[in-house]
Amino acid sequence: MTWLTPLIAGIAAAIAVPSLVILYFLKLRRRDMEVSTTLLWKKAIQDIQANAPFQKLRRNILLILQLLALAAAIAAVGQPQLSGDSTKGDRHIILIDRSASMNAIDGDPKKTTNPATRLEIAKKQAEELVETLREPGVFQKESADQAMVIAFDSTAEVRQQFTSDKSLLKAAIRSITATDGPTRLSEAMRLATAHSKPVVVENRGLVSGPGSVLHLFGDGKMPDALETQPGASDTFMFHRVGGPESGNVAIANVRAERAFDNPSQLSIFVGLQSTMRGPRAVDVELTIDGAVAGVKSVTMPPATSVMPETSNTDKGNEVASGAGATEGEGKPPTPVFTPSTGGVVFPMERVEGALVSVRLRGLDDDSAGNRALSATADVLPTDDAAYLVVPPAKRLAVAIVSARGNLFLSAALDGLPLSRHDVMSPEQFQKVLAEGRGGEYDVFVLDGWTPGPDGDGSLPPGRYVIFNAVPPGAGVVDKGVGGATQIVDWDRSHPVMRSVNLDPLIIGKNRAVEIVKPQAGGAGADVSAVVLASTTSGASIVEARGADWRAVIVPWDLMESNWPFDVGFIVFTAQAVGYVGGSSGGVIGQSQMVQAGSILSDRLPTGAGGVTIESPAGESSRLEAAADGRVVFGPIRATGFYRVSWAGSAGPTDSQRDGRNERFFAANLLDSRESDAASAETLELASRPVAAQDALETKGTRKLWPWFLLGALAVVMLEWFVYNRKVHV
Amino acid sequence: MQRTQTITRPKALEDLLGGDLISKIGGLDIASKKIFAGKLKGERRSKKRGQSVEFADHRPYVTGDDIRHIDWNIFGRLDRLFLKLFLEEEDLSLHVVIDASSSSDCGEPSKFLFMQKAAMALGYVGLVNLNRVAATSMGGTTVSAESSGTIEVEPGEVRQVRDLRGRRRTHDLSRFICSLAPAGPITFRDAAERIALTRRGKGVMVVFSDFFFKDGYEAGLRMLVGHGYDVFCVQVLSPQEVEPPITGDLRLKDVEDGDLAEVTISAPLLKRYKANLAAYCEELRAFCARRDMSLITVKSDTPIDSLLLDYLRKRGVVR
Repeated sequence: MTWLTPLIAGIAAAIAVPSLVILYFLKLRRRDMEVSTTLLWKKAIQDIQANAPFQKLRRNILLILQLLALAAAIAAVGQPQLSGDSTKGDRHIILIDRSASMNAIDGDPKKTTNPATRLEIAKKQAEELVETLREPGVFQKESADQAMVIAFDSTAEVRQQFTSDKSLLKAAIRSITATDGPTRLSEAMRLATAHSKPVVVENRGLVSGPGSVLHLFGDGKMPDALETQPGASDTFMFHRVGGPESGNVAIANVRAERAFDNPSQLSIFVGLQSTMRGPRAVDVELTIDGAVAGVKSVTMPPATSVMPETSNTDKGNEVASGAGATEGEGKPPTPVFTPSTGGVVFPMERVEGALVSVRLRGLDDDSAGNRALSATADVLPTDDAAYLVVPPAKRLAVAIVSARGNLFLSAALDGLPLSRHDVMSPEQFQKVLAEGRGGEYDVFVLDGWTPGPDGDGSLPPGRYVIFNAVPPGAGVVDKGVGGATQIVDWDRSHPVMRSVNLDPLIIGKNRAVEIVKPQAGGAGADVSAVVLASTTSGASIVEARGADWRAVIVPWDLMESNWPFDVGFIVFTAQAVGYVGGSSGGVIGQSQMVQAGSILSDRLPTGAGGVTIESPAGESSRLEAAADGRVVFGPIRATGFYRVSWAGSAGPTDSQRDGRNERFFAANLLDSRESDAASAETLELASRPVAAQDALETKGTRKLWPWFLLGALAVVMLEWFVYNRKVHV
Repeated sequence: MQRTQTITRPKALEDLLGGDLISKIGGLDIASKKIFAGKLKGERRSKKRGQSVEFADHRPYVTGDDIRHIDWNIFGRLDRLFLKLFLEEEDLSLHVVIDASSSSDCGEPSKFLFMQKAAMALGYVGLVNLNRVAATSMGGTTVSAESSGTIEVEPGEVRQVRDLRGRRRTHDLSRFICSLAPAGPITFRDAAERIALTRRGKGVMVVFSDFFFKDGYEAGLRMLVGHGYDVFCVQVLSPQEVEPPITGDLRLKDVEDGDLAEVTISAPLLKRYKANLAAYCEELRAFCARRDMSLITVKSDTPIDSLLLDYLRKRGVVR
């Protein structure tokens, strides 16, 4: 038991108790009674007083009761409270995970009458935690615990700064709503660390203080937990919500592809994963523009479990070291579950664009053995749906700009389903640009030549595939022509490099380039470049993009390599043109896909005005387009289709409705870690693992002073009763 | 203990002596451990040879003897002068003293009423046996029937009626006793001194009091015990004084001098009080015994006949 204000209670006791006793002597109302003589009484009093100085008080139950009541009241002034054995810290940081997985409802939905999402449970636990915080004393405000509330998914925000006001804290906790974004603990931890209390020690300046107590409420599925580290003096507590056994079937990926040779052939690939312990039958329902276009049933195999490899190596180490310490002996190792994967493909013929949504529906065996669709497939509904914006099939218009002509390029492009395929000289290209007809072509393939820097020192607006040249202001620096080399590594996942094998490629005269980091605030600050393939001497294929241009750059000379004779060159050229040109074939719709929790950022045609964005829930908000037409919205909270509409000129792929141009974006979770709904037993931080607490074990504090006051009241009532009994005897 | 709530003062003899009581005590007589000489020849045999008709002895004549008592028959036979000695019959002086201080006016039944009745009964016994009876009140007021006024008596003052003899003086005695009303404090020593100075002869003195005197009873009793008086002390206590029926926080006020004592009644205090009372009475008894006085302590609810027939007879006051 601790006392918030013991000193004040002591002072009050020192004043009040003697006062009561004195008052008792003074105030005592005695009944007058005439007696024949006081002789014997005085003698008796003298005798008794001689025997016991406080004889008068000893048997006086009224005074004893009053003293008791006073003692209870004074104890209440001292504000005692039962403090638990755990948290003694002054400052608590409450981190609440609001990511998509916190939408999960654990347990059998048929059996739970009052289903609560993990976030609701976490909020309830957090409120209970707030309730156990030490309250400010009536007289000493600084004795209170303080807490701050941080809500995080992939981003983190402070919902309530440090305060000891429990109602504020609870309101902040209650106001947290779930998002559909993935979890990133690191930003929340950075925010928490930034708010931890530094303490000024004389002669030593700022040092870390007594430390904060960090309370993480979540399911513990944090992919970046290993990168985070609480302060050395901080206490980290992981309050787990959700069951470790909860399985989940999720759409791990969704993708639309058009065939290269026939862009009207559209395929929707739906990648699935299951962390269920048993097989799970689901219906995958494809909806195009709101109408169901197809349903496919798939049975997901159970997740494979692997026991952690601890036996052999550890034993060998122990034998070798001779140490007796065995780690984790008391606890059987928990198996590690690897999600099973699966997928379905929906092929179809569709030229027009579409808003495609995919939804999983669970197939449950009812008691009669019939399979019935259930509303939800699993514990987590967020990842049972995925959205995709499929742009209309389009045949690109491509121009090869070459001073000398390039047979290989022309031949490669000839095979592509292009609407237009021109070859022009640099002069003609400049003329086309000068005449403002650059928009007629979707992609310029530049061969051994680049246009000079335009006004901002970068490429003119447009889409480029550049061979045998390094454009200025593209974030890459020409390191000069070198000797023969080979590709050692390439990004196989990039849409441009997919299905391209660069192993046989031998570059005769390599032109090495190096990616330079744009200087913040300087020219080319919005230029970014990524390496798609690299040789021993540096980058060899680069994708670069600026504010209004996009380019795939192959800086070395094709003629000095064996690539034109490789089938990979054809694939590369087709994919690169398709990629920069905004997809006629191959993977489409990626540019209009955004992950929940991230920022939606796109560029509208210049002069777009009255931009509004409409969320899946139908809430509309205004966006201010920058001078170059850039709009930013986010972070995206919910999955679904976001509709950006504006007045003004339209882009080539934009549709129109009610006189306004509109462009759709699909927000998805598509995070396999987040879709693994099983909550973690331990949270592996960089510094140490933190075991989960299922129940709120931090019995922080419990106020006792109201009980003391109640006790005082009860004693006063008893005293009144006794007084009446005594008076009316 | 407490002042008597409903005071009933006796108006006449009938209030003091009932017919029952008279018939019960009619056969009693005042007794004394010694036979005292009296002024009048009464029915009492004195140790003194006197002029009674009952012969006691002869003694030789010496010069100066009353020649009327010479037994001439012996002179005729023996030719020597002998005086005839007779047993002289003497009356016994009974002196009843009542403490009429305010403290006597306490208790249920009233201590003073008890004293009045007891004094009247004793006086009646004395009168019917032709003893010389005197009654004295220490302190108090005297309500005169004629003037319907009250006469206050000083603390040390006494009021007396004396030299009553014979049954017909019973009313005189009762009138005096009925006229008494307790009031104020008394100074026992001064009152005793006055009684000692004014009494004559020798006799039996019965003192009714509670003997609760702030200035002590010793000096007063010492005054009374002298001069050949056989002193009986009857300490009258009310039942409330013996077993105080009080509780709570009290301010006790002495009815005589208004002295205050603040007490919170508790079991130890009551125990202590009773112990003190017992010690006080025992001390008084021991004091009287040392000075050849008799003391009996009675409660005011004791019946008068049992007081006389039982207590006082055992002590030899009456027979």
